[in-house]
Amino acid sequence: MPEPMEDYGNNLGGVGGALLEVADVSKTFRSKAGEVRAVDGVSFTAQQGEVVVIVGPSGSGKTTLLYILGSLEKPDQGKILVSGEDICAPGVDLIAYRRRRVGFIFQFFNLVTALTALENVALPMDLSAVPSAEQERRAVELLERMGIDRRLQRTRANRLSGGEKQRVAIARALANDPQIILADEPTGNLDSATGGTVVDILVRLAREDGRCVLIVTHDESILGVADRAFHMADGRLSPR
Amino acid sequence: MRALKRGFRSFRRHPAANLVVVLLLFVCLTFCLSMLAVKLAADSQTEAVKGRIGNYGEIRSSSGYMMSTFERERGKSEAERAREVRGMSEEEELEERAKTLVPEELADAFSRHRYILTYDKILTAGVTVPGIKNVELSSMLDLSKEIKEGAAASGITEHTFVFEGNTNGASASEFLNGSKRLIAGSFYTYADHLEANPVVLVERNLADENGIEVGDTVTARVSGESGKKAEVKLEVVGIYETVEAERQSQKGSFATFNPAGNKFFAPLSVVQTLNKTPGYVELGSYYFDSVDHTEELREAFAEARGDSDRYEFVTDEADYRLISDPLEKVGKTSLIGFGGALGASALIILLAMAIIVGGRTRELGVLKAIGATDRQVVTQYAVEVLCICLVAIALATLATALVSQGIGDWLLSGSENGRVVEEGEEASGYAAMMARLTERNLYKEGGLFSLPGGEKEEAQLNVVYQGRMLAYGILILLGISLLGMAIPVAWINRLEPARVLSME
Ligand SMILES: Nc1ncnc2c1ncn2[C@@H]1O[C@H](COP(=O)(O)OP(=O)(O)OP(=O)(O)O)[C@@H](O)[C@H]1O
Ligand SMILES: [Mg+2]
Repeated sequence: MPEPMEDYGNNLGGVGGALLEVADVSKTFRSKAGEVRAVDGVSFTAQQGEVVVIVGPSGSGKTTLLYILGSLEKPDQGKILVSGEDICAPGVDLIAYRRRRVGFIFQFFNLVTALTALENVALPMDLSAVPSAEQERRAVELLERMGIDRRLQRTRANRLSGGEKQRVAIARALANDPQIILADEPTGNLDSATGGTVVDILVRLAREDGRCVLIVTHDESILGVADRAFHMADGRLSPR
Repeated sequence: MRALKRGFRSFRRHPAANLVVVLLLFVCLTFCLSMLAVKLAADSQTEAVKGRIGNYGEIRSSSGYMMSTFERERGKSEAERAREVRGMSEEEELEERAKTLVPEELADAFSRHRYILTYDKILTAGVTVPGIKNVELSSMLDLSKEIKEGAAASGITEHTFVFEGNTNGASASEFLNGSKRLIAGSFYTYADHLEANPVVLVERNLADENGIEVGDTVTARVSGESGKKAEVKLEVVGIYETVEAERQSQKGSFATFNPAGNKFFAPLSVVQTLNKTPGYVELGSYYFDSVDHTEELREAFAEARGDSDRYEFVTDEADYRLISDPLEKVGKTSLIGFGGALGASALIILLAMAIIVGGRTRELGVLKAIGATDRQVVTQYAVEVLCICLVAIALATLATALVSQGIGDWLLSGSENGRVVEEGEEASGYAAMMARLTERNLYKEGGLFSLPGGEKEEAQLNVVYQGRMLAYGILILLGISLLGMAIPVAWINRLEPARVLSME
């Protein structure tokens, strides 16, 4: 297997430069109905503080790619280097990776419905054994930053509106202060105004905090905020 | 610790679903625990009964032998009998007098069996005490001329008293079972028996009527002897009263005649002398360790007795069975009920957890996706299961305390009805009548003159909440909780977050 840095080097160059380096990643689903090559030889890099937007039609493999990057799905081939470390290599602590390195914003919010907004945001910290006072302090701070007021913080997740849910989901993704934010259709279930707000928030996470924000969407309008934009079709990625 | 908190929070946040499971479990567990309580009660009751009943036996002249002797005697005329006695040697005469008695050696030998705990030898005899009048007997004899003549022919007069002899006054069955009570003086002792000290215990009313006090002497006559050598002076060492007299006299007309009411108690050796049957006893009475060894003792007795059917070894096993059989039946039934209810509880928790976990696959996916280890997830669910089971079993424990006695009584009444039917099928007619006539009470129950079949103890079920129940409750709790945990454990291992998170 060729050294990925050589073949898929980024503009900024150098192994130490890129926060995220994806090299020749493929994933094929096999079922009775047949084979689907959901992700097909995808390679790209992303830096700290960058907003990367991948646009593609439904079924083009966006979610699958994001799951692979979040370690929820194993690629058939290829490498994913995060700060130079291959998360697909055997023996990598995927639990720690999911907890600290990436924050996931799911296509369908995926909040824990029985918990309040505050408890949802505190949950990743709770799993990482953050002291409960600290959990609460940080969860309140994050929710406040997302514009979720005190009353909504104490509201059960299933009673929140779509936009509120999505903002709580973003706050939860930020709970353990990850460098990489993976957002799957963050505006998909929201009206355009609310969607705009959410995109603004995500952009600020890159600009203000210096995180790497990866957004996959079929919504071309988001392309405007991208530092780096790709088009995805039939599992293949092409720059725009 | 955090997983515990999360599990408990999850339990509180799903009140409706959990309540349904708790209720279903509660019903099953209540049934389960009640059955267990009944089973434990039945077992411990049986054990308790074992300590008191079924561990008594006595060696005595067999009913069959008594019957045939009786038949033979009846065929003889008074003159024949007198002639027979006159022509007898001393040994033959003793043999004749002791024909319905048991040789002391046989009784002694049997007492050495390893299961025998205590034993006593008893001889009851009609003894003439010329100086005192048996008021009750004489009023009976006065009823008709025939009775009086018949009685006189068998040597019974208004001065005839029942003498009961045993090896130790205090352990005479009526003193042991509380129907008689010493009120003055003291009991004769084993030493009195060994040394054949002429001492006696007298009934209170008889003592009052005849002005007898402790320390006085009464003169009794050795039966079959005459003249000076027939007289034995007996010192009154104690006076007793009959506690049960009142109750017995209410039982019926026959019971109002109670010759045992003014019975004399004396050392066995003294009664043997008075009855002129040295070396013979009416019965050997034994307490052994438990009803479980009845069969061994029977075999040992059969071996000691040899081929002769002259003696028999009878026990109060039937009394024990009368109590233990219904209890055993209840125990069996409740064990089956317990098993069924436990199975149902297991099924409920399995189904409930399958539904609960199945309904929360998305939550499981989220937890895994944000970095929960399988252990964290399983612990959280385990706590939730434990909470459900704990609440259910706590409620069930309370309910059990309320209903288990009722269930126990109900089961017991069911099994006793069965018994009554069996008794109804008992043989009737001549055979049954003869059987009843020859049915003798055990000495343990108060001896020869107490009423047969008076009060037999009945099976009772006292379902108390034993400490053992708590231990079993905890075991059941752990068992069904573990079973319930198996579901999330199995689920979480197969769960792929990528699959469940994209659903909507
Ligand atoms: N577990 C799976 N088994 C089989 N096929 C799958 C599986 N997951 C995804 N696919 C298929 O892979 C392809 C890519 O799916 P994916 O969900 O990544 O698309 P997407 O771009 O996110 O679409 P959408 O915009 O509708 O969310 C689709 O054709 C899909 O049917
Ligand atoms: Mg998708």
